[in-house]
Amino acid sequence: MPRAIRGVLFSPIVFALVTALAIGAVMLAVTGANPLTAYQAIVTGALGADGIGNSLTQAVPVTGMALALAIPLRAGLVNLGGDGQLVLGGITAAAVGLASPLPGPLTLVLAILAGMAAGALYAALAAVCENRFGVPLLVSSLLLSYPAMSAASYLARFPLKEEGSSLPQTRQLPDGVHLPSLGSGTLNAGLFLVAAVVIAYAVIDARTPTGFEIRMTGRNARFATYAGVDRPRLTLRLMAVSGAVAGLVGSIGVLSFPYRFIDGALITPNYTWTGLLAALLAGAAPLGTLAAAVFFAAMTTGGAGMERVTEVPREITTVLQALIIVFLAVRTGIFRRQPRGDS
Amino acid sequence: MTLPPSDDGARGEGARVAAKTPRPGAGTGASASAEVEMRGIVKHFPGVRANDGIDLTVAPGEIHALMGENGAGKSTLMSILYGMQRPDAGTILIGGREVSFTSPTQAIAAGLGMVHQGFKLFPSLSVTDNVVYGREPRRRGLIDRAAARRKVAELSERFGLGVDPGAPVAELPVGVRQRVEILKLLYRDARVLILDEPTAVLTPAETGALFDVLRGLAAHDRTVLIVTHKLREVMALSDNVTVLRDGRVAARLRTAATTPAEIAEAMTGRAIELDRRYPAGAIGGPVLEVTGLTVRGEGRPLVDRVSCTVRAGEVVGIAGVAGNGQTELIEALVGLRPPDGGRVTVDGRDVTDAPVAARRAAGLAYVPEDRAEVGSAPDASIGDNLAMGFHRAEPLTVRGLLRPAAVRAHARRLIGEFGVKAGDPADPVSTLSGGNHQKVILGREMAHDARLLVVEQPTRGVDIGSIQNIHARLIGYRDAGHAILLVSAELSEIIGLSDRILVMSEGRIATELDRGEADERRLGLAMAGAAEGPA
Amino acid sequence: MPIDAELLASALRALTPILLAALGGALCQRAGVFNISLEGMMLVGCFSAVTGSWFTGSAWLGVLVAVAATTAFSLVLAVGSVSLKADAIVLGVAMNLLAVGLTAFLLRTVFGVQGAFSDPELKGLGAVGLPGLDDVPYVGDVLGGQSPLVYLSWVAVAVAAVFLSRHAWGLRLRGVGERPDAALSLGVSVTKYQYAAVLASGTLCGLAGAQLALGNVTLFSENMTSGRGWIAVVAVMLGRAAPVGVLLAALLFGIVEALGFRLQGQGLPQQAADAAPYLVTLVALFLSTARRRARRASAPADEHAAPQPASLG
Repeated sequence: MPRAIRGVLFSPIVFALVTALAIGAVMLAVTGANPLTAYQAIVTGALGADGIGNSLTQAVPVTGMALALAIPLRAGLVNLGGDGQLVLGGITAAAVGLASPLPGPLTLVLAILAGMAAGALYAALAAVCENRFGVPLLVSSLLLSYPAMSAASYLARFPLKEEGSSLPQTRQLPDGVHLPSLGSGTLNAGLFLVAAVVIAYAVIDARTPTGFEIRMTGRNARFATYAGVDRPRLTLRLMAVSGAVAGLVGSIGVLSFPYRFIDGALITPNYTWTGLLAALLAGAAPLGTLAAAVFFAAMTTGGAGMERVTEVPREITTVLQALIIVFLAVRTGIFRRQPRGDS
Repeated sequence: MTLPPSDDGARGEGARVAAKTPRPGAGTGASASAEVEMRGIVKHFPGVRANDGIDLTVAPGEIHALMGENGAGKSTLMSILYGMQRPDAGTILIGGREVSFTSPTQAIAAGLGMVHQGFKLFPSLSVTDNVVYGREPRRRGLIDRAAARRKVAELSERFGLGVDPGAPVAELPVGVRQRVEILKLLYRDARVLILDEPTAVLTPAETGALFDVLRGLAAHDRTVLIVTHKLREVMALSDNVTVLRDGRVAARLRTAATTPAEIAEAMTGRAIELDRRYPAGAIGGPVLEVTGLTVRGEGRPLVDRVSCTVRAGEVVGIAGVAGNGQTELIEALVGLRPPDGGRVTVDGRDVTDAPVAARRAAGLAYVPEDRAEVGSAPDASIGDNLAMGFHRAEPLTVRGLLRPAAVRAHARRLIGEFGVKAGDPADPVSTLSGGNHQKVILGREMAHDARLLVVEQPTRGVDIGSIQNIHARLIGYRDAGHAILLVSAELSEIIGLSDRILVMSEGRIATELDRGEADERRLGLAMAGAAEGPA
Repeated sequence: MPIDAELLASALRALTPILLAALGGALCQRAGVFNISLEGMMLVGCFSAVTGSWFTGSAWLGVLVAVAATTAFSLVLAVGSVSLKADAIVLGVAMNLLAVGLTAFLLRTVFGVQGAFSDPELKGLGAVGLPGLDDVPYVGDVLGGQSPLVYLSWVAVAVAAVFLSRHAWGLRLRGVGERPDAALSLGVSVTKYQYAAVLASGTLCGLAGAQLALGNVTLFSENMTSGRGWIAVVAVMLGRAAPVGVLLAALLFGIVEALGFRLQGQGLPQQAADAAPYLVTLVALFLSTARRRARRASAPADEHAAPQPASLG
């Protein structure tokens, strides 16, 4: 067997995939399902004629959140507040979209920018907590996430609530403030926005001095400081960009079908945590993050397809995704960073 | 090799005569009575024969010095004796019985104990807890602290260690921490105490006190094995000396019957001019000016109103016992620690509170002491490490875009110029040897062509060949009209390279010496500085 | 508003799962293992407690099942983080998501329902009285009539405090966390103590989950821990990984939560009440780090710090 092929076969990612699938198969078999049928149904559900569009639709928010979290992670910063930044972006875009007196297309752009700004400012707040008050970013971003979700929930249930509806949701956005659909399916122009983020991130990461500084900070933060990188400032800027991308994902979620903010609709699908896993899986490298996010999104879509044909609960795909990361983490330890904690 | 004067600072203090009188049983006695006997120890590492058939015999109650240059095989031999590594060949006898340790725990059980160079203490715990850790006296299931304290106090008193059993270790000075380490060994009934470079972090006064303690231990029939490369201390303390060179025993000597010259020759084996003094530089105008620089710590200042100037074409050396403010002074100068007072200018520009980037722009380059944690990103490629600091300017970046080809070319150029033995610039820095790793950092910092180069411990952990190369490059850099501020724990390095020497003690500049006035004895006295003042 | 007995009683209920999980987190922290999988462990505890109680008909057997299952789940962290040196953050995030997926999957395969499972037949832990205490005015109202696990959590705080400060294993555990190389050099196995700490945190999170699913309520719903495990992580930090400190941090959170719940009756939006504990915790973290910094800056002159001339004989 040529060495290159063996290298791929025994690489940590393949090891993690195979092991996770094996454990998943055992779980399926124990619950009385046929693992092979189930896995086949996942593949068909994800990549079949009906599935591929759904997979792409699902890939947009997952990739978006994966990028949002990968950007600070590239410098070794863990943003655990993605959910809060996501919903703030969403509710802000909805509010602006509903309130703006401008013509449709302008309102659309304004709503997206407002959503990004809201996410950026809120994420920057977490950076300020670390820079100014010494609360680790991991904790500050996480703690700030919950009040943001509560605030968005309050807005959707009271001031912005649709009159007469029994659901916690805002009014529907006017027709002109919808992201254009692509084709007949659920896919929309949000795809291009996220694709633009991928390209921008990939170029900045590989080909700009700033991207170089971010990577070197991730490799050894003390070395970066020694060489003149202003870490508090970098933290602030990376978090702002991270929040902006999360806000963009929230905006896309609101400006596409069903064209309104529904309380919980951005949180329940677990975009944030799936995205974080994808970013971790790829070590925050731009194209790797994209690949991992699309892979996870396809798995999720495939799981829904499988559930329709085999009655195996779709949650098995979440289990598989988590297992892949567990095995990758124990196999490589490539994300090993300096011990943290302040005691 | 320039030898230190035969009568020096460290000897004035102790009961030297007593130490030189051979005790009964102390000496190169027959192996039957040996406390420690190592025979034909061999240990290979990839590409190196670290130990190549070493014999070592130490009698009970003896103070035995194990000497050698860096890389002579001392550390390997001691880690084999202590069960941290297995020898490839050879036998070890403790008290006449053959042993084969697979872990330090077994060595401890056999009556061995080691004080490591970096102490292994728990700062947040009390002296007593540190001593009894892992072998706690118990009463009704819980730790019997009263009994533990009594036992520790009793040991401290019996061996004259003067340690307060209740004190938290974090609050103890280095010299006392070392005695806590010794207490740990005594508590475990160690008969053989191994001390690895025990005086590296001590002031001369603390060193004298340590020697008194060690002599006391020997008088109580404990065997002391001290690993060191300091001639002066060996002469003052030991009964016998084993000298290692290139993994073999170069000499076995009775201290009373030998001279420092004989030991030094055995250590180096050749007339290597380690202590070469370079000629003076052509001194120009001031580059670094520091006035009243202060860094506060917990309580007393770590850096206390330091003023100094480094001029173009000049190497200014900073000497001092570790922990006297050198580290903090440098950190404040390079922008890694905010100063609490004073003023710093580089090339006339005030950079007192400037961020690192502004200092570098003003003309400062810096080779830090910690190569892996501060000076480089070991996981990143050699090319990326060399690009750091050059990455924002042409030719590496053109019109805002980084050019990978230029990054590689830049790396190849510096690798060539500095003679770094490296395969591919894409290899991680962690694959390089200590000397080549240092050359990568030195090469990068010198390539900035900055007016001021701050260098800390430039040759620590570097092989002898690279040391001379690095020294020559530093002098060449000076002669090109740059200013160099050098911090080193190696007095010979300070004396050999510096045009002027500042001695730091307790955060202050205690003494300033010109190149002509400096020798190891004067420096040693100056380093003792305030520590020898009134108690 | 007065802090009345009823409020404190509900605060105690609210804080118990957090306290138990945080105690586990504190043990891990002391042993040098960063445990951010408390959330996932607690969720596994919730589900296994409900499953155990449902199939055996006994809440106590449910608690036992929860402890066993969660301890087993914590092995993932022990093996991954201690033996295989995987990054604790990556592993923690993955374990939390694994718990969400696994419990949701099993909820559907075991109970055949989606979202939540509750049944009048499901046995909860109920309340027990403390003999002699129930009749004391006020105190009885606060402390009496709680689930047995509430009392157990107080015992656990005391036991953990004594264990860490007075027991030989506690001392060794602290040493392992502070300087593993030093512990190793004295023949103390770092791996063994770190495993023990992680497994203990699994056990405690099992109890926490049982209290949440069979004590505070009697049901299981997907993701029902809803951030409590993360709050426990923060409580460890706020309480400096000391049992009593962790208790105080959890108490702060519990009181704010109970107070918020109470104020809802007086017109405070539910969302404000939900958000309050997180914001209060964040402010408490600000204050605690600010105080630590201030203390560091104005530390009194330390006589020990100067090199001593030592005994010159």
